[in-house]
Amino acid sequence: MTGHGGAGLAHGADTGAVGGAGAPERLARAALTRVLEPGDERGGRWLRECGAVELWRRITDPGGEAERLSGMTVRRLAGYRLRAAGADPERDLAAVAAVGGRFVCPGDREWPTQLDDLGDARPTGLWVRGGPDLRLWALRSVAVVGARACTPYGAHMATTLGAGLAERGWVVVSGAAFGVDGAAHRGALAAGGATMAVLACGVDVAYPRGHAELIGRVAGQGLVIGELPPSEHPTRSRFILRNRVIAALTRGTVVVEAEYRSGSLVTARVAQRLGRFVMGVPGPATSGLSAGVHELLREEGVLVTDAAEVAELVGDMGDLAPSRRGPVVARDLLDAVAGRVLDALPARTAVGAREVARAAGTSADEALGKLYELHSLGFVEREGGGWRLTRRATCRDDARRGGS
Amino acid sequence: MGFARACSVALVGVEGVVVEVQADLEAGVAAFTLVGLPDKSLVESRDRVRAAVVNSGAEWPQKKLTVGLSPASVPKGGSGFDLAVACAVLGAAERIDPASIDDVVMIGELGLDGRVRPVRGVLPAVLAAADAGYRQVVVPEQTAGEAALVPGVSVLGVRSLRQLIAVLCDEPVPDEQRPHEEGRPDPMLAGLMVPGAGLGTGLARGSAAGEGGRPDLADVAGQGRPRKALEIAAAGGHHLLLTGPPGAGKTMLAERMPAILPPLTRQESLEVTAVHSVAGILPPGEPLVSRAPYCAPHHSATMQSLVGGGNGLPRPGAVSLAHRGILFLDEAPEFSVKALDGLRQPLESGHVVVARSAGVVRLPARFLMVLAANPCPCGRHTLSGAGCECPPSAVRRYQARLSGPLLDRVDLRVAVEPVTREDLMGRGGRGESTETVAARVLEARVRAAERLAGTPWTTNSEVPGHELRTRLAVAPGALMVAERDMERGLLTARGLDRVLRVAWTVADLRGAGRPEASDVVTALELRSGIPRGVPLGAGAA
Repeated sequence: MTGHGGAGLAHGADTGAVGGAGAPERLARAALTRVLEPGDERGGRWLRECGAVELWRRITDPGGEAERLSGMTVRRLAGYRLRAAGADPERDLAAVAAVGGRFVCPGDREWPTQLDDLGDARPTGLWVRGGPDLRLWALRSVAVVGARACTPYGAHMATTLGAGLAERGWVVVSGAAFGVDGAAHRGALAAGGATMAVLACGVDVAYPRGHAELIGRVAGQGLVIGELPPSEHPTRSRFILRNRVIAALTRGTVVVEAEYRSGSLVTARVAQRLGRFVMGVPGPATSGLSAGVHELLREEGVLVTDAAEVAELVGDMGDLAPSRRGPVVARDLLDAVAGRVLDALPARTAVGAREVARAAGTSADEALGKLYELHSLGFVEREGGGWRLTRRATCRDDARRGGS
Repeated sequence: MGFARACSVALVGVEGVVVEVQADLEAGVAAFTLVGLPDKSLVESRDRVRAAVVNSGAEWPQKKLTVGLSPASVPKGGSGFDLAVACAVLGAAERIDPASIDDVVMIGELGLDGRVRPVRGVLPAVLAAADAGYRQVVVPEQTAGEAALVPGVSVLGVRSLRQLIAVLCDEPVPDEQRPHEEGRPDPMLAGLMVPGAGLGTGLARGSAAGEGGRPDLADVAGQGRPRKALEIAAAGGHHLLLTGPPGAGKTMLAERMPAILPPLTRQESLEVTAVHSVAGILPPGEPLVSRAPYCAPHHSATMQSLVGGGNGLPRPGAVSLAHRGILFLDEAPEFSVKALDGLRQPLESGHVVVARSAGVVRLPARFLMVLAANPCPCGRHTLSGAGCECPPSAVRRYQARLSGPLLDRVDLRVAVEPVTREDLMGRGGRGESTETVAARVLEARVRAAERLAGTPWTTNSEVPGHELRTRLAVAPGALMVAERDMERGLLTARGLDRVLRVAWTVADLRGAGRPEASDVVTALELRSGIPRGVPLGAGAA
């Protein structure tokens, strides 16, 4: 890692990044984002072994002895060189600065170090749009991902989760895709909270195009980040590889609606491998769109139904979701015999104590004793020579009789 | 020389305009001129009238004859003026007393042999005549029943021009033989029911099928939630969207909807009959439509066939034929976007305004829309283990075909799940019959109408939002869940109004005076399609 220094000033105005990687390093990494595909582990190893500046020199310099890099073949080198010929990092940095962005690379103070968990698949650097500090935001973030072609239920759950997490001060991270992703961003934005979109294209490219406005709003109110340099377009494989960034960046991943074969499940599996929390929002068992989530829940995934439960899992100690159970009904607290005696009383008419005892299967004395107890609790009252249920006991009947 | 006048009616949309037919005879070279914005079919009237008059034993005046139709500015078409033209000519020729036809409205087409043939749109024509103050109308015998629906008008049904001449001259009326014998087709009815008039509008002859043939709601296996939605839609007049895989029973449910709607009131019946009469789909022998019509156009329907159109003067489309009834759009995303968006105006205003070269008409179109859609092109999306292979983008595109503004007007969105084996084999017990549900619907409608007495509205779906929020109070705290959704951006302000309307209907069906929180949650669930744990109230018998 290069130290702090004046070298950063050369592009300080463009990058806006504070401290960290020096200018040559930054420039080389920015250039390399155009050469190395996201998730290129071989490239990541070379980066680790010889540093960005040296790697860039070897690739671009015909006499750079690039062949000495382990795993570098002539054909691969030709591919890299073809790309490198078109790379112009300074123009890219200017382009991202023009849309209010910057380039953040490992070693920067803003670099989210949890991405280092990806090992050699760690992004070369991240292009960032938006004001907030990426590292600080990522520290308290949760990913909400799911199907693009989601059902209204999926969209509803994603929106509610997005809003709920945002209200609890969590940053909602997602992929700005149609469906669940978009709904999660919208929920967070609606709650006036923080949200971050990880794109599989250049941060100045609005993809999907239908979400141009949404991405614009996220960039204005939150962060839009991506591994790919400006004006790059997404491909199928880039979507899948983008998911590893979402998984690594956040403390946990919530999947809302995913089929068996789904990109969201890829995110969840990466999160699992990296030791992040994996959560799933259940759907109807009949829905094929929730089948993947259910599979996840049958494995290591944790079932969550709202933001409080997510926060409890990924949050700090004390971030407990309120405990939930049905209301405690007074008659649940009765002892077994008293309960039987109470059940033995008919709904409307009054009966004698002996009859109650017979129906409840107790002795007459015991029944009488329990009836007086129940009387003082307000469940029964005397009527003539017999006993009858009070109005209150009749009303509360549903809880024990299965709501019939 | 000779002058006489008679009256007839020109139809503009489903409204009639009384037209004065004047005949003038002058000395000169024998000729027959027809003036006053006639269209092609009306110009042909000259030849028909001449032949009919001659074949009825009257003499055709060999003079210069001018027939004028006024007001000249109203476009006129069709063959319904024949009778009036013939009488005016005979009046001018003094075969009949001009005074006797002065204030008689005559509608009917003439055959070359002098028989009077029925025409379409008799009911609206007679209504217009009555409104204009005419008290006597002459119509073809077959449509006399239709004309007699109009109060305060004396109707004379005639079979031939000869009969009419005899009546007007106080001569003994010749008894025309009925042209058709039992068991053989009636040539006079040819053209009354226009084949293809309802083409593309898919109007079902529900009433013609007879009582025995009407499908019953008890035939539907399972489907508790969609049944309940159907009931709520019928009770409150809310539009409904059914989504589900093919074969789940969406069409079956929709077909059973008209029967649970309350019978039409007299006023509604007249409105519906007028439209059907103009469209030429009124079955003979059944002058009054008393049940809610059901119209299910095919998804290849054009905007013209949906909202009305055609050359010259517009003719009623599916939305008007479904007036006071059900418009069922099966495979709704397959309809052209233009056609669907054409529905927005009638959905909002209850009528449709169509402009064509010959004029602008306003047709009634207050219908209950039922949409059915598959979740994706193959129909198996979201179905567990069904193997839908539609890419997400295709699913999105498919679902996006139903535009937001259209869907926004749909209050109830229900998923129709595939029928389970148990339900299909009747192990779950049969569902409620149409009769039971219809009774509940009627009761709910009466309750709503009583509450809305003194306002221009009768069903919950018609009440404007501000009235709903200010005048009609719900139970305290009932709206909490909906308000929470609104804060989250899950519900728009308009959506909240819609939820409120449905909640009122749910309460009406329950027999409650005002909506409780549970009614609002039910409405919310039906509006958003997101389960909120509402127990099934209806459907299970």
